[in-house]
Amino acid sequence: MPGVTGTGAVNGGRHARAGSRIVTPVRLDGRDTRHQTRRSAIATPHAPATGPVRVEVRGLTKSFGSVRAVSDLGFTVEPGTVTGFLGPNGAGKTTTLRMLLGLVRPDAGTATFDGTPYTSLREPVRTVGAVLETAFHPARSGRNHLRVYCRAAGLPVERADAVLAQVGLADAGRRRAGGYSLGMRQRLGLATALLGDPSVLVLDEPANGLDPEGIQWLRGFIRHLAHEQGRTVLVSSHLLSEVEQTVDRVVIVGAGRLVREASMAQLRSGAEGGGTVLVRSPQVARLAESLRADGMPVTLDGDDSLTVAGRTTAEVGARAFAAGVELHELRSRTSGLEEIYFQLTAGQEQYAAGATSPEGSR
Amino acid sequence: MTDLIRAEWTKLFTTRVWLGLLLGACVMVIGFAVLLTAFAGNPESGIPAVGTPLYEELAMANAVNVNVLFLIVGIIGMTQEYRHRTATPTFLTTPRRGNVVIAKLLAYAVAAALFALVVLVVNYAAVAVHAGARGAAPALDADNLGTLGSAGLALVIYAIIGVGLGALLRNQVGAIVGGLVYLFVIEPIIRSIPATSGAYKWMPGGALEALTATFEGPDLLEAWQGGLLLLGYGLLAALLGTFLAVRRDIA
Repeated sequence: MPGVTGTGAVNGGRHARAGSRIVTPVRLDGRDTRHQTRRSAIATPHAPATGPVRVEVRGLTKSFGSVRAVSDLGFTVEPGTVTGFLGPNGAGKTTTLRMLLGLVRPDAGTATFDGTPYTSLREPVRTVGAVLETAFHPARSGRNHLRVYCRAAGLPVERADAVLAQVGLADAGRRRAGGYSLGMRQRLGLATALLGDPSVLVLDEPANGLDPEGIQWLRGFIRHLAHEQGRTVLVSSHLLSEVEQTVDRVVIVGAGRLVREASMAQLRSGAEGGGTVLVRSPQVARLAESLRADGMPVTLDGDDSLTVAGRTTAEVGARAFAAGVELHELRSRTSGLEEIYFQLTAGQEQYAAGATSPEGSR
Repeated sequence: MTDLIRAEWTKLFTTRVWLGLLLGACVMVIGFAVLLTAFAGNPESGIPAVGTPLYEELAMANAVNVNVLFLIVGIIGMTQEYRHRTATPTFLTTPRRGNVVIAKLLAYAVAAALFALVVLVVNYAAVAVHAGARGAAPALDADNLGTLGSAGLALVIYAIIGVGLGALLRNQVGAIVGGLVYLFVIEPIIRSIPATSGAYKWMPGGALEALTATFEGPDLLEAWQGGLLLLGYGLLAALLGTFLAVRRDIA
């Protein structure tokens, strides 16, 4: 079922974006550059050099000693979307991402990019860019750090300057990376991931240590990479609130298992989670009658308001419209996203406490 | 592979570690050359007199005394990836990890050859000046050039062993301390105890002595056998290191 509903949500998102692309001149420019850059070996920072890539994780399992960090985990990351990979600390997020990237060997299962495992990709750096931790030699300048990986990947060293400018580090490129602030280190990591102009970006807790301004910048940057450049972005976080304004879809894990895979819209509406809808109307009695006729569980809250359990605002709104009832307020009262997220992952806590150590995700 | 080797050179030459180690090696080799020459012909030291073929062999092979620094060059080259966590971007860029280790071995062999050349030139210059002042500067004849070449080869092999050892242990401090303890404690003990000195000729230090020059030493292999054995240790460390680097999780 998550597969079916997920596809619907993605299509919806695509239509919306396609529409906005036509009316926004900037995005039209972006599309033009994509056509030009496809032909050149190294694309400009406007679109990935390779086409859209779908990430598929199937039955991934990994134990460290007696601790089962990841257990039969499966999900899909769709091209052109930002997918949030969420779960409490120790849920196995980092281990999953490391298996996805061929750094940790899974006990079972597969993780592929358009059907190919990372270690078999012909040009891994041009397909996938990843920021797993801020890793650099403190005595080496940011620019030289990037040049190392340009050389190793067979990219022209000029790419180092291009990505430095892209992440706003152009002025600091020649300084020792050891002297960088936390935010600059995150940006350098992001620059490393962008060297090969990849179709897929995998970011592990990229907002860690960023100040509010940095987080704001990161959100915009991630959205730009996915929505305007059509890249596939998978971004992990232990806080839903941190990514809620950025992501289109979420994959929620708890104790190494998949808890929920859904679009943000689905999560918001709480359609599958049985949220409640609050309605205010001067004709509340008539509305209640009409809703009850449809078999909706209605509770009258006062003279002008009622709540409907287990339904979406769309369903209630449609019913009210059909009945010709005037509405003053119609909103989903599903207790806030963070609470839903907490409820979803809290269900795993008993298991988590028993089987996963606090450091289990490493 | 050429790209990967160039990447390793970029890594090596974009920090100043190489410069410090090379200068250290030059200073050390000058010091050893001066000591050797100063005590040459001194009956109490047992070092042969300046101008004798044995003195010249020892003086030309003097550069192998800095083998520990070449070992450290190799160890740092490999373990810095783990110490500074750059193993992650490195193996992300090149998921075929065996290629990374092979590229490191080749890159460090070439870099060590250049460093060794510098050390040999400095060594010869120091010996020529000091021994010349004491009567007879060694000529660059076939024998002496051969000894210099063997010493240089030995230094390169120690750098290769260092890379392999680094891949094996991954912990930079542990690998360096382990290397120092082995070179300066374990091998000398094995060399000096009669019960174990028979095994010494099969160890890296014994092979090194056989390859270059020695005096008052224990039973050793032929020079070419020593060279081959030392190379074998280098390759063994490299192979083991590659095998482990490919199999271990990078977490």
